[in-house]
Amino acid sequence: MIRKSRGFLLVGFVLSAFFLAGGCGKREPAVKIGFAGPLTGDQAAQGLDMLHGAELAVEEANAAGPILPGYKVELAAMDDSRSPAQAVTVAKKLAADPDVLAVVGHLNSSCTKPASAVYHEAKMLHINPVSSNPEISRQGFENFYRVCSTDDLQGPAGEQFAMQRLGAKRVFVIDDMTTYGRGLSNEFVKAAKAGGVQVLGQEGITQGEKDFSPLLTKIKSLAPDLIYFAGMYPEGALLMRQRMELNIPAKFMGGDGLFEPTLIQLATAQAADGVYITTLGGDIHQVPSAAGFVRSYEAKYGHMGAYAAYSYEATRIAIEAIRRAGAKDRQAVLAAMKGIKQYPGILGVHSFDARGDTTIRTIGIYTVRDGKFQFLESTN
Amino acid sequence: MSAGDLFLQQVINGLTIGSVYALIALGYTMVYGIIQLINFAHGEVFMVGAYLGLAAILGFGVSHSAAGSVALLLVVLALAAGGCSFLGLMIERVAYRPLRRAPKLSVLITAIGVSFFLQNAVMLSFGPLDRYIPPILPVVRWGNGSVGVTLMQVIIFAVSVSLMVGLQLVIYATPMGRAMRATAQDPLAARLMGISVDKVIAVTFAIGSALAGVGGVLFGLYYSTINFHDGYLTGLKAFTAAVLGGIGNIPGAMVGGLVLGLLEGLSAGYFSTQWKNVVTFLILVLVLLFRPRGLLGERVAERV
Repeated sequence: MIRKSRGFLLVGFVLSAFFLAGGCGKREPAVKIGFAGPLTGDQAAQGLDMLHGAELAVEEANAAGPILPGYKVELAAMDDSRSPAQAVTVAKKLAADPDVLAVVGHLNSSCTKPASAVYHEAKMLHINPVSSNPEISRQGFENFYRVCSTDDLQGPAGEQFAMQRLGAKRVFVIDDMTTYGRGLSNEFVKAAKAGGVQVLGQEGITQGEKDFSPLLTKIKSLAPDLIYFAGMYPEGALLMRQRMELNIPAKFMGGDGLFEPTLIQLATAQAADGVYITTLGGDIHQVPSAAGFVRSYEAKYGHMGAYAAYSYEATRIAIEAIRRAGAKDRQAVLAAMKGIKQYPGILGVHSFDARGDTTIRTIGIYTVRDGKFQFLESTN
Repeated sequence: MSAGDLFLQQVINGLTIGSVYALIALGYTMVYGIIQLINFAHGEVFMVGAYLGLAAILGFGVSHSAAGSVALLLVVLALAAGGCSFLGLMIERVAYRPLRRAPKLSVLITAIGVSFFLQNAVMLSFGPLDRYIPPILPVVRWGNGSVGVTLMQVIIFAVSVSLMVGLQLVIYATPMGRAMRATAQDPLAARLMGISVDKVIAVTFAIGSALAGVGGVLFGLYYSTINFHDGYLTGLKAFTAAVLGGIGNIPGAMVGGLVLGLLEGLSAGYFSTQWKNVVTFLILVLVLLFRPRGLLGERVAERV
């Protein structure tokens, strides 16, 4: 009995400590922009890169003057650990916070898709930076916007390059069985079949696994001239390394999930040399309007990955919608967003079509040379 | 590439990963044999081993001479084995020994708690990103254009097999081994015979964790990337290997690991990768249907 009451006392103390901590210290009234992406786990390099882009946008906007009179804009960053279930949980958390007026988020299409339904129900502006699965914007959610190109362009662009520039005639397609990976590999296979390229097989691997040598051994016996991988960089790096160790002569190509400098480090420069990667836009270093962003990003966070520019762009557009709404009100922000046309961003001038997708539809193509990504060309 | 070459290459692939599974499976099976606990934190010990290996390699730096590389490999393996056996001892002392008389379920839940603790401790100390392990040995490949085996694969196989042989010697030819076997058969009787059961259990944890540590370093060097939740999937596979071979049975864990690696390699090679786990676990279910105690059965006498 005595032990029990002591336990209650302890719980009471802890609880009151929480309440006291919550009660003291008056905070400036704030509006928040939600951010969600993988901040821990194997894809955290890309997630943190995105987070830094969003942070920079908020910081610059606050420095330039008040966005909503009387309020300070803050970023509410959430970690979805690239898990769809976790993505829905953090989406609900953001939706339940009345200070959050808009969300920039989710890296993986498999996270963005279920989370978008939560934001839709909350009638909250949702701007997606890099989830390229085309199905997401076809759900009829009027609160959904996206600032990158989609995989129904990326797959065919990769196939065109493989066929015309690399002379690929026999391809083997691997994906990671996620919404993004399977969607992109299907687009690539569709384009390949239409273009008369022979598809020797299409197989899925599981994210988080490390040993792909059985699959690669089988691919080697089929002797394709190109291996296409639709997935993310941790698995992509292992595939490249194991391809080198098994001495497979086929060329290697992948989608934007591989466009991350860590890929080359994990795969080693030797194994990554000469692989081709398609990306959701042109070379950021060649866009004059992005020069200022690249400078301040690299000064603050060091080397820039591929996705920071997209979340920076998405966050800036969200801030612009809040500024135009002029009130702490989700409906007003959504209405103001509808009025944003010809927005001069760092990636180009954005307008949004009926589905909420940006009208900038560029796909870039890179290769790896001497341990660095090298821009080759872009569509449009 | 002929059908024979393809098969041979798949067997080489399967045996490599299978011997890592076997090393980890030994820890599961030894602990189960002695205290009937499925130590779910064991996969995390393996992961800590990989990180200790990384820390050691970063600390010593990569050597460029052949003798230096071999010495570095041995030092790194020894450090990881030592560090992990200390970790295993600590886990046993802090988390499991106080619960020796508690219901089995409490200990199992504690094991899962220890597993979360280790994952998050490693994430906080080494960061959430994938870490790259620099190769300490040159990439050497023997074979022709179609079939080949790499130096790293040979090392993994050789180190694993010699450790397993060493473990058999310890268990069947030393007084401590005899005490372990006695404790596995009947802890109470063993205690009456003057065996310090607590000490035997501690030694079991230390040996099992050291093997997992070595497995972690080999795994990290082979795949060259590690992450703080690598222990989960690999630990699960190794646990499966232990069950497949017959949990509690030491030769069973070795056989189970190699068989599981081969099954994975062959099912990925001849069916498809996305069906790999389905085929592998289907075979596991079939084996357990016909041999409920695993391939080699549980040799420990059933208590009445």
